[in-house]
Amino acid sequence: MKKSNAKGVIAKIPAYIILIIIALLVVVPLLWLTLSAFKEEKEILSYPPTFWTHSFTLDNFIATNKRIKIFRYILNSIIYSVGTTALAVVVNCMAGYAYARKKFKGKNGFFLMTLATMMVPFQVIMVPLFLIVYKMGMYNNYWGLIIPRVAVAGSIFMMRAAFSGLPKELEDAARIDGLSEYGIFWRIMLPQVKSSVICLIILSINGSWNDLLWPMIVASDTNMRTLANGLALFVGQNSIQYGASFAGALISLLPMLILYIFGQKYFVEGMASSGLKS
Amino acid sequence: MNSLAKNNKKNIWKYLNSDEGSAYVFILPSIILLFLFIILPLIMAFGLSFFDVPMTLNSAKFVGFDNFKEAFQDKRFLNSLKVTLIFTAIEVPIQVFGAMIIAALISKNNISNKIFRAIYFLPVICSATAIGIMWKMILHSNVGFFTYSLQALGLGRINFLNDVHLTIFVVTFISIWRSFGVSAIIYVTAIQNVNGSLYEAAQMDGAGKIKQFWNVTVPLIKPTFWYILMTRLAGSLQIFDIIFMTTNGGPNYTTESAVTYIYTRAFSSESRMGYASTLSVILFFIILVVTVLLYKKMNAEEE
Repeated sequence: MKKSNAKGVIAKIPAYIILIIIALLVVVPLLWLTLSAFKEEKEILSYPPTFWTHSFTLDNFIATNKRIKIFRYILNSIIYSVGTTALAVVVNCMAGYAYARKKFKGKNGFFLMTLATMMVPFQVIMVPLFLIVYKMGMYNNYWGLIIPRVAVAGSIFMMRAAFSGLPKELEDAARIDGLSEYGIFWRIMLPQVKSSVICLIILSINGSWNDLLWPMIVASDTNMRTLANGLALFVGQNSIQYGASFAGALISLLPMLILYIFGQKYFVEGMASSGLKS
Repeated sequence: MNSLAKNNKKNIWKYLNSDEGSAYVFILPSIILLFLFIILPLIMAFGLSFFDVPMTLNSAKFVGFDNFKEAFQDKRFLNSLKVTLIFTAIEVPIQVFGAMIIAALISKNNISNKIFRAIYFLPVICSATAIGIMWKMILHSNVGFFTYSLQALGLGRINFLNDVHLTIFVVTFISIWRSFGVSAIIYVTAIQNVNGSLYEAAQMDGAGKIKQFWNVTVPLIKPTFWYILMTRLAGSLQIFDIIFMTTNGGPNYTTESAVTYIYTRAFSSESRMGYASTLSVILFFIILVVTVLLYKKMNAEEE
């Protein structure tokens, strides 16, 4: 028994070496970015490059406010991700609920149509989508940024699965108590699928916070840019200040990192069950 | 009159509070939004592909199949398709098989595996913007930390992001770096759902770990395999973010993917919205054909 155990450990060593190398490949660059955000520009551009911070400074963070409108970008990112998510929860949960628990004419047709939209790549429709938003007068404002991103077939699909699992008695009891159909949905059924709703919230916040292409297209005005596209455009300039871009990148990563630390389980569950992430 | 209106109101509420009436209310917002912002633009993309739309967006001129004819002779577009295919041909197998092997190694629920999983998933939550800024500097030709480390090891100074032969592979690597965690975690969930007694049976038959994985696990996680294959394939064919952030198509268009080119055609100083739609439609059909073929293969195999 002991012998086979020792053999097992030795057999595992190559696997562990591979796993550790991959882990280092992930962690070291992120650590380097974090450390570099606190380096002076001179140190960042020095040769040979450094790993640890020798010239600790907060100038880069101050520079983000001078060189780019970092607070405005943060505010826009918050409005975009919270606005999209709040509406997404209501719209997608309602639809998922109806598809899971109601009988109505045309149900299959509507559901198939919803599923079919999953097959349409965003990149393929981005040009006409821009034109629609532009003609509706939503170009360069929050509505244009948010509204087209609210309804997501993957989320509807996920919520449908969650609602399908609830017992019928729950609804019936509430109906006998005189609750309306909407009361049943909102007060009885929705709280039962809390963990799926949290998955939806986390994925939606993460998705819109990191979204690059749509804000690039529809929010080009300097006051409308989100962190993701504001930073991207800043880096695209020629007179780029590296330290400031590192600090900006770090600022953009922190909220997601905190979300990840507290909601890792939901991230994983959500992505495994809806597979939304490209 | 008044009582009739009241009666009507009551009837409407009664209907809206019925099983069927409320169902329509529940799905209405999603149907409107999906129609207006996905289905309508898809239809429009087809329509627009037959028009020439100037930058001012004021007028559109019908040009028939001219855009399509132009597209198939557009060297830059054909090149962007080639770049996209190279990228896809490398990324997808690594994501599909590499992530499966990694998942097999970290599927057991112990502390070290949980740490590995948490680390591998980390890049998934990061924005392409931050990842682009980070890798661009780490691979900087002069002061890049990784460039320097390799040089210190005697491997010479490699110009990772500005080499017509190498850069496409570097971009592919960054893209895999960013998202292999999703594939791995989805595989882990699937592997954990495999009934443990099946392994015991295989063990009794004297099968080793690798053989167990191949004979027991792999057949049972086939649906996950197909799922990841299809989603990764569709995703790879639409690669944009990472390229936009690191090379923006350079050097010399060697990393310009289809979507990068479409974006340039639609939203830059070279804007021609009609032509950009034509390119989108062609890309859509490529993705559609690939997906349908795979779907058929999957169904054939399951039978």
